[in-house]
Amino acid sequence: MSTDSLISFDNVTVSFWQNNMGIHSIKDLATQRKNPFTNKVILKNISFEVKRGECMGVLGRNGSGKSTLLRTIAGLIKPQEGKVTINGTFAPILAIGAGLELELTGYENMNLLLSLYGRPRKGKADVIKSIADFSELSEEALRMPAKRYSSGMLARLAFSISVANDADILIIDEVLAVGDQGFQQKCMKKIFDIKAEGKTILFVSHFPDDVQKICNKAILLDGGTLVHSGTAVEICEKYNQLF
Amino acid sequence: MQEITRLYALSKRNIILRYKNSIAGFLWGFFKPLLYLMIFIVVFSKQVSTNNYVLYATSGLVFWFFFSNITNQSIGSIINSAGIIKSINVPVMFFPLSETISELFNLTLTLGIFFVAMNWFGIIYSFKLLLVIPIAILFSIFSFGLTMILCSLNVFFRDIGILWTTIQPALFYLTPIAYPKEIITKFHPLLLQLNPVYYFIDAERTIVHENQLPSATMWLQCIAISFTMFALGYFIFNKLKQQFISAI
Repeated sequence: MSTDSLISFDNVTVSFWQNNMGIHSIKDLATQRKNPFTNKVILKNISFEVKRGECMGVLGRNGSGKSTLLRTIAGLIKPQEGKVTINGTFAPILAIGAGLELELTGYENMNLLLSLYGRPRKGKADVIKSIADFSELSEEALRMPAKRYSSGMLARLAFSISVANDADILIIDEVLAVGDQGFQQKCMKKIFDIKAEGKTILFVSHFPDDVQKICNKAILLDGGTLVHSGTAVEICEKYNQLF
Repeated sequence: MQEITRLYALSKRNIILRYKNSIAGFLWGFFKPLLYLMIFIVVFSKQVSTNNYVLYATSGLVFWFFFSNITNQSIGSIINSAGIIKSINVPVMFFPLSETISELFNLTLTLGIFFVAMNWFGIIYSFKLLLVIPIAILFSIFSFGLTMILCSLNVFFRDIGILWTTIQPALFYLTPIAYPKEIITKFHPLLLQLNPVYYFIDAERTIVHENQLPSATMWLQCIAISFTMFALGYFIFNKLKQQFISAI
């Protein structure tokens, strides 16, 4: 069962209402019965497949739909058309500061996110200890509100919580660049460990070198369409040609 | 079971966040109704002939503030939880629902203190008082239904939040909380009949203030209003929830 398909996208289209905000839209709604929303397509006819144990990189310019794609994979967004099939569990998406409540302390954040992720209370204390150890944040820092953290410290906390969840799929949305060198290396090592356990990683990054190190395959998005898919090396070359 | 853990965690977060960095903490929840009560005593108690005026006004205030807190806390609940909604697959409805649960917890505390304190203001202790519980549950179903409408529309039009804070005082003074209902029915009975909040406060007051059982009509009215509002809220919320993630 090591080669079965874990994530499969079949002609997936995602679109959102875009709010033409402002008093004019209210006026148009009242006078011409015009819908104040327009439909904006973010992802067009995307199809790909990720097998268990594969690591896929997602590359593309800013605004090409990478984060929307990750959120669709994680089930946060339902596609308008097409079919998404997922056969695994997720760790929370790792994006800069995502899911962290800035008013809460580090420990409170761990508790909240672990519960939201659905971890039972039993054995939670051990998990929290392992998160704290991995993050290398001091006891003092973990007891203070996350709003006083630097962006590197936030990334440490978020990464540590995410990898502590023993999920099948880990989604990383360009977070590694913020930590200091020591932590970046530690994260890389952890990512390779997770990969070695046969888990799947989806990796968004603007550093083709990192993508080539971690991923065996990759896709390139441009303007919401999947323009290329292939091995990580090929796609990184294509990505570099974009600029 | 997992869902209960999640709701519990969110409700706990709401309570921690609300009183973070405040010294008096949850005591503030009692201070506001108490201040209103004092104003009412000064302004109204000599004007109206209601017996046990303090009991009358407080029973209304306790329920009103329960309602007003639920709506005010939940209206921004989706916008304020953007970070979590964008990274973890949690049913979005849990955000307003957890606010309602935290407020129910607050109401339980408030009612406990209320029943003890009202000893000196003419409350009659009997098993009838337990009927306040089902009324409070119906009232929270109603409030949750309204909240689902408010918080989901507020995602797209932030005007809703501002509008709600603006019309709330009007609704407050149009509901017979500080004064007997005759004052408003004399003006126009429709003003009272069209006010959904009034039915719940009236039923609660029948029990607490008049020491009577609410009539079958009153029960049916409360049930009908709460479930209609819930169904409406649920429908609107579900229609809109797919769009939240792009709008927050």
